[in-house]
Amino acid sequence: MKRLFIVLASVTLLFAQPAFAGETVRVNVNGLVCDFCARAVEKVFGGQAAVETIAVDLSAKLITIGMKDGQTLDDGTITKLVNDSGYALVSIERVEAAGGQDQ
Amino acid sequence: MRISSLSFLCAAFGLYAWAAEARDITYPGGISVMTMNTGDMNGLYGFYSPTARYSLGYAGEYWRDGDYTIHSVRLNYLAKRWNNPDSQANFYLRSGVGMAYGEEGEDSDREISPAAYIGGSIDWEDRRFYVSYENRYTYAGDFDDSFKQSARVGVAPYVGEFGDLHTWLMLQADHEPEAEHPVTVTPLVRMFKGAHLVEAGVSNQGDVLFHWMVQF
Repeated sequence: MKRLFIVLASVTLLFAQPAFAGETVRVNVNGLVCDFCARAVEKVFGGQAAVETIAVDLSAKLITIGMKDGQTLDDGTITKLVNDSGYALVSIERVEAAGGQDQ
Repeated sequence: MRISSLSFLCAAFGLYAWAAEARDITYPGGISVMTMNTGDMNGLYGFYSPTARYSLGYAGEYWRDGDYTIHSVRLNYLAKRWNNPDSQANFYLRSGVGMAYGEEGEDSDREISPAAYIGGSIDWEDRRFYVSYENRYTYAGDFDDSFKQSARVGVAPYVGEFGDLHTWLMLQADHEPEAEHPVTVTPLVRMFKGAHLVEAGVSNQGDVLFHWMVQF
């Protein structure tokens, strides 16, 4: 029974890990109205070494970027990447994945 | 590539829409490949975008009325983009220079002429509606010296999210003052998903419009 408990606890802890341990950055963008627009953003941000995951929500006009653990992109770089993609930055919001603290 | 081979390839893929609905410029480092077919022409295109503001590449177009092919280097330039919260508008300039080759006769005696073209387009779209206008002036010696323009309106029957199959119902009007039928109207369907875009329609003259594009 004790062994079963340890196994279950280990499995629970394993699945309790976040998908990526780094920072999450939410970027609001103007002009993001089509699938090809979203693909451009995905390609440009996806080429950054610090980026682990990227998701584009056309309805919310929101780019959600998951950073690799211990890495980030500063606001200036994010603004430049949005502009390089062909769109206009509205706002940047940073969320710590582990602590859940908004900045 | 032999001229006749290009014409055959273009016809086989079937395509035209010289501005390619403004998808000829992609993201930095992106490549777009297009084929186009209308009642007027067949085209094969490949462009590289160093930035999101311009692209440079090859355009091969076989024009049916004059029975000639233009091989050209084309520059597509996004002169202005208006990024709004729920919509986007663009003003593009395009130009190309190359050579026009007649399709009549044997290879050794085909007529050849320098060729150039210039034009622009403007479009506006949100996730439900689309409007655009484009024009082009072409000079190709004895083969061509003409002005063309076209306009489109479109509506999306549903609004898709990123990665969904997107569908648009569109109406295109083409005006070519010197053509046998100066005005043609083409209802068409546009669909795109992932890196691919396809358009298909039939004009009021019975000509098929087909356009395929992929981005890398």
